[in-house]
Amino acid sequence: MVVGLGLSSAEKSYIAGGIAVDLRGDGRGRHHFRDFSIDTSIIPQANGSARLRLGGTDVIASVKAELCAPPPGRPHHGKLEINVECSPTAAPEFEGRGGEELSMDLSRALQRSFLGGASGAGAAIDLASLVVLEGKLCWMLYFDGLVLSSDGNLLDALSIAMKAALSNCGLPKVEITSGTNPEDDADFELNEEEFTPVDTSRFPVIVTLTKVGKHYIVDATAEEESQMTAAVSVAVNKKGSICGLTKRGGTGLDPSVLLDMISVAKRVSQTLITSIDAEISAAESRHDDQ
Amino acid sequence: MGDAMRGAHFRLSPAQKQRMLVAQERCRDAAGSVHSSAFVNVGDTIPVDYENGYLRGHGTQVVDGQLLATVCGVVERVNKLVSVRPLRARYNPETGDVVVGRVTEVAPKRWKVDVNSRQDAQLMLSAVNLPGGIQRRRTATDELNMRDLFTENDLISAEVQTLHQDGSLHLHTRSLKYGKLESGQLVKVAPYLIKRLKQHFHQLKQYGVQMILGCNGYVWISALPQSTPDIATDQKRANTESLEAAAGTADSQNVEISRELRERICRLANVVRVLGACGFLIHPDSIVDTYEASLSWGTELKHMFSGEFFVKVVEREAEQRSKKG
Amino acid sequence: MFLNSQKALLKSDGTRLDDRLPSHVRPAFLKTGAVSVAAGSAYAEFGSTKVIVSVYGPRESKKAQAFSDIGRLNCDVKFTSFATPLRGKAGQDVSDKEFSVLLHKALEDAVDLHSFPKTTVDVFALVLQSGGGDLPAIITCASLALADAGIVMHDIVAAISLSCVGKDLLLDPTYKEESQQDGSVFIALMTSRREITQVTFTGEWSSTKASEALELCCDACVKLGEVMRVCLKEDAAEATEDT
Repeated sequence: MVVGLGLSSAEKSYIAGGIAVDLRGDGRGRHHFRDFSIDTSIIPQANGSARLRLGGTDVIASVKAELCAPPPGRPHHGKLEINVECSPTAAPEFEGRGGEELSMDLSRALQRSFLGGASGAGAAIDLASLVVLEGKLCWMLYFDGLVLSSDGNLLDALSIAMKAALSNCGLPKVEITSGTNPEDDADFELNEEEFTPVDTSRFPVIVTLTKVGKHYIVDATAEEESQMTAAVSVAVNKKGSICGLTKRGGTGLDPSVLLDMISVAKRVSQTLITSIDAEISAAESRHDDQ
Repeated sequence: MGDAMRGAHFRLSPAQKQRMLVAQERCRDAAGSVHSSAFVNVGDTIPVDYENGYLRGHGTQVVDGQLLATVCGVVERVNKLVSVRPLRARYNPETGDVVVGRVTEVAPKRWKVDVNSRQDAQLMLSAVNLPGGIQRRRTATDELNMRDLFTENDLISAEVQTLHQDGSLHLHTRSLKYGKLESGQLVKVAPYLIKRLKQHFHQLKQYGVQMILGCNGYVWISALPQSTPDIATDQKRANTESLEAAAGTADSQNVEISRELRERICRLANVVRVLGACGFLIHPDSIVDTYEASLSWGTELKHMFSGEFFVKVVEREAEQRSKKG
Repeated sequence: MFLNSQKALLKSDGTRLDDRLPSHVRPAFLKTGAVSVAAGSAYAEFGSTKVIVSVYGPRESKKAQAFSDIGRLNCDVKFTSFATPLRGKAGQDVSDKEFSVLLHKALEDAVDLHSFPKTTVDVFALVLQSGGGDLPAIITCASLALADAGIVMHDIVAAISLSCVGKDLLLDPTYKEESQQDGSVFIALMTSRREITQVTFTGEWSSTKASEALELCCDACVKLGEVMRVCLKEDAAEATEDT
């Protein structure tokens, strides 16, 4: 997922050499995440929104809620839709259809991590909590991700931004005025004064491990990503369960290596989730102060 | 404005924010009020002594007999030449500039090099340092083996040879100190932060590191070159005809870099990044100064992008400037 | 019906729904350097309209345009899918492509294409939130971003629009006001020279009303130009360099 980055073979061997001795170009160790900052409520028109800056990577996530009919065959569930756009403001190469492939890759990886199984089990949000009137009315949450600028690790950044946007999200209270009978259509009114937050405790965070040579690193920069032989993105939730896994890159991985990468991802995710929660509360209280 | 400097984003606690604002204020005061009054915006009138005459330079235009600015920046007056220097523009090359560039294309008899300017620069085959004497004619073999010397994406150091009216520029590497760059890392800063000095190659023997401050904003920090060029080696090379032997690249890439050396290179690179983000001049003295300061503060490499380190760097700069003024 | 729509936009004391007087613009929040990897960039907020613009270049043009005496200005406008209350393309009245063309027209005259022959300057605008007056906001923000990038220009361009609702002229309309307008005026102005680079009128206008509207718009643009200059100067002062 690298745009137009050409490095000399000398630079490449320097980067790989650094990773091998656990000293990357900016001084980080292999399992060290860059510092990041979160701002919430940046798109007031959305139900929830957040901006995440991770080094030179800058992404925005927004959550928009709409009422609709529940998915076919699952009257007790709400719906989620996830979409990512790469804006040309991030790189001229993204103009027109240039960013399409990357956008689709990112969207699919996020969908895989957040939508759960076909039955709806294991989704990032308890889909049953999104039901308003069983069989007739539920919430559809649209997650939109936007890449403003990229210095690597877009997937992890987007997952953090979306978690923050969801924490910032409030669903208006729905008052059913008629139609509680199974045959009738539901009529409702939205109470835009009362909002209920959404439970984010199940929302996973994605940790991508990028393999360079024999070693794998966490939170790769664009330069480091250009060196990757393979990358495994693991979505882990607060409980430590894996919610989704995606592999990129043509090189084959030995199963033991894959298992090791998963355990590293799990370990890193736990400290990461704690930092994210802290940053989100700080962002929300900053917003309340204003 | 304290939270985000261009190119860096970090969170500051209220106490840190306060310290940062104070330090930035001190820096601005020390730089002198001359600086701010010389700033003009696009469309502003530039005060000129019409009586004695003036020469119109870059960033200006004459409208209805008045001299107006066409870029936002600082007014510069050198004798009668009046121009406006934009703060954040692309690198504006001048003959003799030392630059660090990346090869973008290998074309017949020349390479195209990205030097962070409007157009890619040209490096002619006839302008590179070949063994066996400067006047040797380029052979057909040389033409075919250009990639043995420099291939796509290679980083090189070179000097600006000529500039043309239409903005195109030509480089040369006709000195042994110029050529392919290895065993290090590249840091990019805004070109205006690198002033033209007598020296752009800085050998920091105390750290075992070499720094090349390209006038185009590209800074190369690496291990000291394996051998300093000397006449004996040149004679040996003069006996061979091909470029391959002269390039000698096969060996140099596998130079072992010790962990300590890597740490020093990394610390210097981080210092340059931070100084660049703060908008401070990238001068070898200030780099070494800040490097030593970071050691004395016990700042770990991975913490050099934290808010605290930035605040300390700005405070230190404020201190240095007040001492001078 | 006519009176009802008027009541909806103006309160009994003559102020608008956001407490502004009809001849007052929304407070502007402007900042350059929003996207550090770009040559120049700017972020602008006008009420609930939020726009971000990046400028790249001048850089090598693709082969076809490389042999030209003048430079090329490439403008691209995109609305994010969350920009409008109605999500996605359905929420937009005017397409991205149309806005891109209008942006290009507004900036063309101000940018000195002779200063970057054979190369291209890319202007990428992104509307994060659409709250009315989107096009003027895009143009103003793009102008700032170009100045930030050090692109040679004849003047700084500011833009503004105005809605006519019944007898009232509402300067810098919100989305709601725009959706009920009987007519509109849009201008892009070179702020030092006070020259109009772009102007459109929709709806029916008497000459007196038209000139009143133009006067209002030009004055607003000039004032906005001053705010932009202060912004550029302040952000330049942040770059603490020795002279």
